[in-house]
Amino acid sequence: MKPGRKRVAFAIVLLLILAVSLLLSLMIGAVRTSPADLWDFFFHKDQTYRTIFFDLRLCRALLAFLVGASLALSGAILQGYFQNPMADPFVVGVSSGASFGAVLCLSMGLGAASAFGFSLQSLFAFGVGFSLVSLVYLLSQTQAVFKVETLLLTGIAAGAVASSLTSFLLFLRSDSFEQAVFWLLGSFTLADWRQVGMVAPYLALCLLVAQWLAKDMNLLVLGDEMAQSLGSPVARVRRTFLAVSTLLAAVSVSVSGIIGFVGLIVPHWVRIIVGPDHRHLFGLSALTGGTFLVLCDLLARTVLSPTELPIGIITALFGAPFFIYLLHRRR
Amino acid sequence: MGILEVKNLRAGYGSGDVVRDIDISLEKGEFACIIGPNGSGKSTLIKALQGLLKDVTGEIRVDGEDLFRLTRHEVAGKIAFVPQIADLTFEFSVLEVVAMGRYVHQGRLAGLSAADRHVIRDVLEMVEVSHLQEKKVAHLSGGERQRVLIARALAQDTPLLFLDEPSSHLDLNYGLEVFEILERLQTEKGKTILATEHNINLVIPYARKIVFLKEGRIQAQGGPVAMITRENIKDVFKADVDIRENRHSKLPEISLIPRPSEKRQIKE
Repeated sequence: MKPGRKRVAFAIVLLLILAVSLLLSLMIGAVRTSPADLWDFFFHKDQTYRTIFFDLRLCRALLAFLVGASLALSGAILQGYFQNPMADPFVVGVSSGASFGAVLCLSMGLGAASAFGFSLQSLFAFGVGFSLVSLVYLLSQTQAVFKVETLLLTGIAAGAVASSLTSFLLFLRSDSFEQAVFWLLGSFTLADWRQVGMVAPYLALCLLVAQWLAKDMNLLVLGDEMAQSLGSPVARVRRTFLAVSTLLAAVSVSVSGIIGFVGLIVPHWVRIIVGPDHRHLFGLSALTGGTFLVLCDLLARTVLSPTELPIGIITALFGAPFFIYLLHRRR
Repeated sequence: MGILEVKNLRAGYGSGDVVRDIDISLEKGEFACIIGPNGSGKSTLIKALQGLLKDVTGEIRVDGEDLFRLTRHEVAGKIAFVPQIADLTFEFSVLEVVAMGRYVHQGRLAGLSAADRHVIRDVLEMVEVSHLQEKKVAHLSGGERQRVLIARALAQDTPLLFLDEPSSHLDLNYGLEVFEILERLQTEKGKTILATEHNINLVIPYARKIVFLKEGRIQAQGGPVAMITRENIKDVFKADVDIRENRHSKLPEISLIPRPSEKRQIKE
């Protein structure tokens, strides 16, 4: 098949899967509903199940889609940024920073507080996650020659510090453990429309920026010097991509906790099917990541129903074996 | 004034100089080679000459313009670079990699125009890799990969072409092939070419100018016949050589003189 046609076919299949997953997400849940109820809600404006279909299930599925898309896009960007197929949105320390922020907020007894219409926990998660990456970036800029490896290693080290601080807080306050699990393994239990409204514009903006610089990312894969010599403003491109990917990951973590493996594996799936060209990789990764997470969330809330599993368990359960397969395939 | 004028250039990586006191002048359409042993600063110099290093002082003029005042985009319209062969992380095809050479001529969101496709077809043909265009670069041999890198630089369509050790990692015959391609580019397309190289005999028939680099400084520069002397080679490479005439090209070539040893036995 021609590459162009393959991409279109892939996108169509994805959209079909997404439509089916969204439909299933609407139909399945703790309260038994029949397809007829859904039909009545949509086509006869029957308000009986409005809260369940609209505010609970649709809202949650959409948030899962947006977060999955954000994480996958962030991962696709960082894998190109580090020229390393093993990079993911959390490699520079966003996740550890964000979860530290959230747990810090919890342990100060501010778990229920809110500001500017957002929960204080989300704001803490976002703020600490983003600050940590900024600090990592500044630290790695101190050498005369910027090395991507320095940034990567500084990020890993800073992430480890944040993680151990999180563990320390949990150790001190064992009563906040249950809430902390939410941040450490991820969940969409608390989904509401405000969060959908918060993630959507960021995702849209970041996707536009990524698409605008997609050709530059292709050049970056050849190495910084080569990209420069082909005419790309590498320093600016790198700064923008790092900011965009960090923003995506921090926003995602702040609404749903750390959901691992989506950002790592989804870009790989897409790359295997449509090739490494970032002009197509970014958008299709977002679409795939979103769809994948809608499905995972569906599983997370139905497998042990009525108990909900943290979604991080599901993504890792699917993601980790695939990751191992990839590792061995690359030999 | 030449198309490339370099005066009193020094460059490094933030901790001491790697090259210094560099003065080079290239005429339009000239083919020059920078020659020196490993660690003499050849790669640093060829990168510094296109503004790829931060820690640089001195003066570089391209086409009369101050290189350091140009944007990356403007430089990319004047100088194309063929780096040493490196591995690619992701599996791009030959066509995709060569198409990247058109970046500087394209709009951000634009695909390949008819003109782009025309240029790409020409350069693929010129370096004889048309039959490989659908293949992944990672699956090519060293010689094929080097030609793909040259094709990408040619797709950039610049008056100047810089190459870093184009014959390294290549078998004897491929090295020769690369220099034949470069000669055609110089004579047929009027490109000004500057290449670093460690294989002296390979460059002698092709280079119009040789620049000897030793410990970051230019030891001597001039036409190949004047430059290829026992003294220069001894000076730069610390090697004793004989200079004799190549039977076919009638140009000088060097042959190493082995140091005497009593243990060595020569077998027929």
